[in-house]
Amino acid sequence: MNELGFLFAGYAVVWVALGGYMLAVGRRQSTLRREIARLEQEFRTGE
Amino acid sequence: MTTVSRGSSVEHDTQAAVAGGGSSGGGATTATAVHPTGAERPLWLDVLGVAAIASVLVALYGAIIWAPTEAVMGHVQRIFYFHMPSAWVALGPAFTIVFICSIVYLVKKDLRYDRIAGASAELGVLFTTITLLTGPLWAKPIWGAYWTWDPRLTTTLVLWFIYVAYLMLRSSITEGHRRARLSAVFGIVGWIDVPIVFMSIRWWRTIHPTLVTGEGMNLDSSMQAVLVFALGAISLLYVYLLVVRVRQLDMGSRIDRLRQQSHLR
Repeated sequence: MNELGFLFAGYAVVWVALGGYMLAVGRRQSTLRREIARLEQEFRTGE
Repeated sequence: MTTVSRGSSVEHDTQAAVAGGGSSGGGATTATAVHPTGAERPLWLDVLGVAAIASVLVALYGAIIWAPTEAVMGHVQRIFYFHMPSAWVALGPAFTIVFICSIVYLVKKDLRYDRIAGASAELGVLFTTITLLTGPLWAKPIWGAYWTWDPRLTTTLVLWFIYVAYLMLRSSITEGHRRARLSAVFGIVGWIDVPIVFMSIRWWRTIHPTLVTGEGMNLDSSMQAVLVFALGAISLLYVYLLVVRVRQLDMGSRIDRLRQQSHLR
């Protein structure tokens, strides 16, 4: 691998790590919203 | 009896719901709104997120296009513009906030500080991982090897293991004061490696480059400008992600309390 290859690999690592983490955070946010909606429904039906 | 009204924020209302009767285990319970849209983020957080991502993209432009090519190392030196800021964010704010919040938790017994410490440790591990992966990709063409057991590299790897163990400890215990207490002790003791990593290139013989000396930075002015900008951009991204994660952990904690309350009804 030449030096541009190492440079590309270095930045690929940065973006994959940051992108992967942000994706995981986004999925966690969706899960929380679903759980909130479920609890809201539960409270409504128990009214 | 449970009263439901629409339109308020989840965080506020779940708190109200918990405060309204969860602790009594009986009697009247007032659970105000838990509306899905209440989980939406405030505008300032979106602005912070856009600013953080935009500044990281500008830093990328600076690192790849604007900064001059280093005379000896060539293009591969450009890895450094994200390697060094990642190391700075992990060693500086991220693990230091774990340390500070751990102490504050032990003094105040407020679980919010435990959640801030947990979120910051997660980000510290993320940025240390980036540091540990980008470093060898720079080292291979420059040193001829991906890895050497150099004091800076070794102490950084040890630091990564310490905080991965910290996160494993947190995930193995149910949320509460017991987990917070154990994590806080671990977070305080584990931080001891941070100054060791920082000082390793001064205390021991090393092949790791020393950027900042007593006489300032060993860098061309335009390279220095890109580096300082990238430091700011990665720090801003860290702040944004920390706020998002702490808000999520707060919300998760309140949902757990609300869930318990709904089972009590």
